[in-house]
Amino acid sequence: MTTNCLDIGIIQSFLDGELSGSEITRVSDHIADCDACAMLVSHAEDENAIVFPALAREFNAMVPTQRLWARIEDSIQIEKNAAPWWQKLSGALSHLLHPQIGALAALLIVVGLFAIYKLSGPAPAPSNEVARAPRTTAAPTIVNVDTLPPSTKNVAAPVARSTQPTYENASYRAPRRVTTEAPLNSSSVQPATATDAAYLPGEASYVKTIASLNKSVNGDQDPNVMSASQQVSFARDMAVVDNTITRMRDAVKKNPKDETAKQMLSSAYQNKIDLLNSVAQKQELVASLR
Amino acid sequence: MTNIVQKFMLAVLAAAIAGGLSLTAPAQGTPAPPPPKAKIKFPTAPPDRSYDRSTNEKAIAVAPNVNMTLCVTEGDLRVNGWSRNEVRVYVEGGPKFAFKVVDKGPDGRPVWISTVNAEPRPGGNNECIRGETVEVDLPRGASLNLTGKAIDAEVDGLRKVTAKTVGGDISIRNIKEGVSAYTGEGGVTVEEAWGQISLETTTGNIVVVDSGPSDIGDTFRAKTNSGAISLTHVTHRALDVNTISGSVLFSGELKSGGTYAMSTTNGSIAIALPAMTGCKLAATFTAGSFKSELPFKILTDNIAPDDLKSIVANVGPGGDAVLRLSSMAGLIGIKKQ
Repeated sequence: MTTNCLDIGIIQSFLDGELSGSEITRVSDHIADCDACAMLVSHAEDENAIVFPALAREFNAMVPTQRLWARIEDSIQIEKNAAPWWQKLSGALSHLLHPQIGALAALLIVVGLFAIYKLSGPAPAPSNEVARAPRTTAAPTIVNVDTLPPSTKNVAAPVARSTQPTYENASYRAPRRVTTEAPLNSSSVQPATATDAAYLPGEASYVKTIASLNKSVNGDQDPNVMSASQQVSFARDMAVVDNTITRMRDAVKKNPKDETAKQMLSSAYQNKIDLLNSVAQKQELVASLR
Repeated sequence: MTNIVQKFMLAVLAAAIAGGLSLTAPAQGTPAPPPPKAKIKFPTAPPDRSYDRSTNEKAIAVAPNVNMTLCVTEGDLRVNGWSRNEVRVYVEGGPKFAFKVVDKGPDGRPVWISTVNAEPRPGGNNECIRGETVEVDLPRGASLNLTGKAIDAEVDGLRKVTAKTVGGDISIRNIKEGVSAYTGEGGVTVEEAWGQISLETTTGNIVVVDSGPSDIGDTFRAKTNSGAISLTHVTHRALDVNTISGSVLFSGELKSGGTYAMSTTNGSIAIALPAMTGCKLAATFTAGSFKSELPFKILTDNIAPDDLKSIVANVGPGGDAVLRLSSMAGLIGIKKQ
């Protein structure tokens, strides 16, 4: 029994996984030696066990966080990019199916055709010569301005401004934008190809597995799979495991011959995989019972 | 003659006026008789039987080593072994059900049966039954393959059990040849179970008492993400226990040649062993500490502040049992029984 007992706020933070690594250690050491604080922790856990199920509905209806919104928007963008061209075309055409928009579009087409007809002047008479003519009809014509009558000077002036032929590269398509799709949970898992060099030996396969599991777990989130209290527990466990991975990576980097650290790093990665697998397993079970 | 012509002209004029009126009538807004409409039958929702208080009971003669596949979506489930070669299912407050014989033995008795819902909901799973209370009696030599959604399950006195539930507590006791239990959210309690044992819960505690192998090579595995694991008198020689946020408690003997691996990421490990225990110990910890009431002789150690610490030691006189303990943030303690 120690005299300096822990504050209930610290105990709650400890249970919620909000403390840092050193604080967790300090609190767990203290609890191990202090019966009163152990009792407080037990009471707090009991209260959590009562409160979380009671408030599960409210927690499930929580307002999406900024991170969730960002993930939703990312997913929408990825789906948009992945849609085949005929779906995009049909989506665009579906807007035209509205009668008013269709009528407006038809009107614009008619006006446009009329304008083109008017601007292009009288159409040449159809003849075989024109059809056979080479496509170099746009060859520069050099006109001497002085020889033109005054009435046509203004009209011909733009043509005569340049005496050298000019060429432009015609482009009928907008330049294709090259985009790279970021992984859904890029904050926690880095793409394996980009940082392979930074991985420790044997680490890359763990990271790839975790990335694929993250994708499947985050991609199919069913509110029936995890209750609010479970989501809190999952987030806390994930934070604990991530913290362990970071510490063990540092330890292995510091001493690459430390077999114990390597083993602990492997088991921390395995814990993370098991944690994600547990969610996937539950998703599968819930789906099979529908 | 003129009179006849006049009458004929008047008749033609009257007919023309009548015809004109009949043609203009709809245009003036006189309602036309509506076309006959086909009667539309709207689908009616099936009656909600969730509060049906009726009880249903069925029994079927089976082989003594029958395998039963059971799916229960709601309710409290109690499965008991009895000394009759018969399966009885009793459902209170749930829809009707039926037995489905999947396979029969050479003597014609069912060796594999399951239950099906006789009143399935539209689009629902008709392989699962439900009720406020579901009681099942099986022969003692039977094996049970249970799937559940939100149920509290108690299983007692069978040969083998495999249980997998989305949520709810699982309590298993008196099993002869193996237990495999998984619950997504809830505790798992096992008592007097023998054989290969594999227990897993995502959020919940695992408690095992008086259990061991039924055959050489049977292993014990327990895993929870958020919860404690408590093992008392578990006599398997191969033990693998792991929790992320929770403590591990072990009280019992270490068998010669056994391998006992217990790890937690954020919790303590407390081991209570007989005073004369001899084993090889490998303890790894980061922020916590290591204490032992049993005498131990350090073979190698790596103790540095703010770093990963490891101890390899012989506990007592040493021995060929290996005890591997690992805690990233917590105390590792060995106590004398």
